[in-house]
Amino acid sequence: MEAPPVTVMPVTGGTINMMEYLLQGSVLDQSLESLLHRLRGLCDNMEPESFADHELVYLLKGQQGNPFLLRARRSLLHPTAPWHLRYLGQPEVGDKSRHALVRNCVDVAASHSLPEFLNEMGFRMDHEFVAKGQVFRKGMMKVVVSKLSRVLVPGNTENTEPLSLSYLVELSVLAPAGQDTVSEDMRSFAEQLKPLVHLEKIDPKRLM
Amino acid sequence: MMSGGPAVRVSIESSCERQVQEVSLDGMETYVPPLSMSQNLAKLAQRIDFGQSSDSDEEGLERESREQWSKPEAEEDEGMVKFQPSLWPWDSVRNNLRSSLTEMCVLHDVLSVLKEKKYMALDPVSQDPSVAKTPQVFQLISKKKSLATAAQLLLKGAEKLTKSVVENQEQRRQRDFNSELLRLRSQWKLRKVGDKILGDLSYRSAGSLFPHHGTFEVIKNTDLDLDKKIPDDYCPLNVQIPSELEGSAYIKVSIQKQSPDIGDLGTVNLFRRQAKTKPGSQMWHLRLEAAQNVLLCKEIFAQLSREAVQIKSQIPHIVVKNQIISQPFPGLQLSISLCHSTGEKKSQRASPDKSKPDDHLYVLEHNLHQLIREFHKQTLSSVVMPHPASAPFSHKRMRLAGPMAYDKAEISSLQQNEGLLEKIIKQAKHIFLRSRTARTIDSLASRIEDPQIQAHWSNINDVYESSVKVLITSQGYEQICKSIQLQLNIGVEQIRVVHRDGRVITLSHQEQELQDFLLSQMSQHQVHAVQQLAKVMGWHVLSFSNHVGLGPIESIGNASAITVASPNGEYAISVRNGPESGCKVLVQFPRSQAKELPKSDVVQDAKWTHLRGPYKEVHWGRMEGRNFVYKMELLMAALTPCP
Repeated sequence: MEAPPVTVMPVTGGTINMMEYLLQGSVLDQSLESLLHRLRGLCDNMEPESFADHELVYLLKGQQGNPFLLRARRSLLHPTAPWHLRYLGQPEVGDKSRHALVRNCVDVAASHSLPEFLNEMGFRMDHEFVAKGQVFRKGMMKVVVSKLSRVLVPGNTENTEPLSLSYLVELSVLAPAGQDTVSEDMRSFAEQLKPLVHLEKIDPKRLM
Repeated sequence: MMSGGPAVRVSIESSCERQVQEVSLDGMETYVPPLSMSQNLAKLAQRIDFGQSSDSDEEGLERESREQWSKPEAEEDEGMVKFQPSLWPWDSVRNNLRSSLTEMCVLHDVLSVLKEKKYMALDPVSQDPSVAKTPQVFQLISKKKSLATAAQLLLKGAEKLTKSVVENQEQRRQRDFNSELLRLRSQWKLRKVGDKILGDLSYRSAGSLFPHHGTFEVIKNTDLDLDKKIPDDYCPLNVQIPSELEGSAYIKVSIQKQSPDIGDLGTVNLFRRQAKTKPGSQMWHLRLEAAQNVLLCKEIFAQLSREAVQIKSQIPHIVVKNQIISQPFPGLQLSISLCHSTGEKKSQRASPDKSKPDDHLYVLEHNLHQLIREFHKQTLSSVVMPHPASAPFSHKRMRLAGPMAYDKAEISSLQQNEGLLEKIIKQAKHIFLRSRTARTIDSLASRIEDPQIQAHWSNINDVYESSVKVLITSQGYEQICKSIQLQLNIGVEQIRVVHRDGRVITLSHQEQELQDFLLSQMSQHQVHAVQQLAKVMGWHVLSFSNHVGLGPIESIGNASAITVASPNGEYAISVRNGPESGCKVLVQFPRSQAKELPKSDVVQDAKWTHLRGPYKEVHWGRMEGRNFVYKMELLMAALTPCP
């Protein structure tokens, strides 16, 4: 059977084209406490929200070069919560002065039969990992501090080993296309975290 | 070198050391005979000067005195020499030594006597002032110089003191700024950007989504003149707030009769409400609080106007400048306006008529503030936080909408139906309805004395519902006639009446309906009262009807009627009471008491005269008694013969 064609059209989620603005950084384990304290002070006044998620990355390989990538994520702390399926497009090559990484984003909530569905559609799981940490919020900005762990036995989320000795810090905003003030706000917020963690725009293409 | 010739004899002779006394005529020199040994010794002994001691720095006094003593001694010596010229050469020496020994002995004796301190004591000898006499000019100059030196020292010390005091004050200013900054930081959010200190007075960290930045700047107050007196309200710290948040603002919610002229809308009422100053709070605190309040009022008004434009309602809301006008009830106008006064200009009374002070519904203004804060809290609740973490922020249940395939009805039930404006309008309607109900009941109570109407309002109310218990009683007969008790539940648009007998009636917001209803209940009460009274008095109720179908039609409600018979059956009282027609009382007499009695051939027996016969109306107005029931009681008593 022929492999299904991978679409080359831009993927949109409904009528509104949502873009994700992203800044990333990392902090060593020993400096985590001070970072959490600072975030607690800077962000909205809420109790800190911990999370533990299990993410599976699915690939659909077509005849063309680039495989199609989808991320399926579920919460380990809230097993009844729906799965979250996410598509992230290519980073927009706009003007270089834009401070954050901007890419097209489609978010879909899915029921618990998502992995089987994706398998049936032809996706194959590429890798999976477990992320544990805390989520902070400031207005529309979301700060996620997470520790990524490798899953040793596929499907078993109990046996994990940390990938590194540091935590990944991500500052993201989900906004409709065309709002450039968002990146300014993100940059000023990142300035306030400056000596503890340097959040910057990391192009995923350069890492490969 | 030997030369020929005889050796020359060289004779050596000492030079002539002796003085030549005389040279004779023949050239013979006569020398002074040299001193003999004893003479030489005497001469040498003479030359010993006892006045000259080995210590050459001797005072002139001692030397003088010694010279004085040695002079008579020398005279004595000369006298003694005259007497005994051949005395041995040590004579003078011996004399000198003897005198010095004498003196030494005397000194030694004096000192030993002094040591005992019994017979002699040492006393200082007063100095002769004339000895230390210095010229006056020199004294003056020296005094002046010493004074100048002292003054110089004092001035230097004073200068140092003043400098240290000034430095202290400056330091206190500095420390004051820092302590003020600490106080500011304990109450407001501050951060340092470059060399500026910025603060945030918006509600964004509390959950607001209003796009205003709300940034203020903290500046040091350096315009202080240290020479002048420091003013009492001096503060080393000053805050600079954005210009659009200057002054003070409040939201005015008022209900008025609908203004006929629609062109009058949009006038800005800039009443300046004096802010209560808490004692002990700093200027910057008051200014920041006022600015924060302005920001919150702006947010409330922006939210209300956005909803007023977006939400479709039957009667559209009008948004003009700083006012939102809507119609809760026909003929009534609810206006919500943002009153922002910057405090620079005098308040402009743009509206032609002065609004009454109680026009402003403070409760609703407070409720608006509470509602917007509720809204803020909702954005911060942990229900919004995403699990898994990569999901966007949304309500927990909305995330289930997709997987659980919710339909539109379910989704709309999840979402907030009502916005701020709708809520406030509902609250305003309820407040208005409640106040009008109270007014109606009170006006009836003051107008009508018999029966009495009592209203017991419940203390605990809802924003959308209040309740009142209305009792209709007759004075003096409260225990007997308590059949009319109404529970009114005042809602947003309707009044629900629950009767004691279980009937539930829904009244609309019309004032007239409530009034009519109460009047009809009052008339019914009178008839019920007769019924209760009859029980007490022992009379029998022959007939009773709440809604009589006979007689003239009442415009309000229905008339009620009752007929009661006396215990012995001789008399009967009929009462018909209507809300409009008033009461009509008829008494039925026994036939025997009737004045004109038609003689009839059929009815012959005397016993038929005991039956009740004709009716006679009672002039109720001329009856004695303060209220209906009292009059009725008197009537009944009058018609009951004594046994």
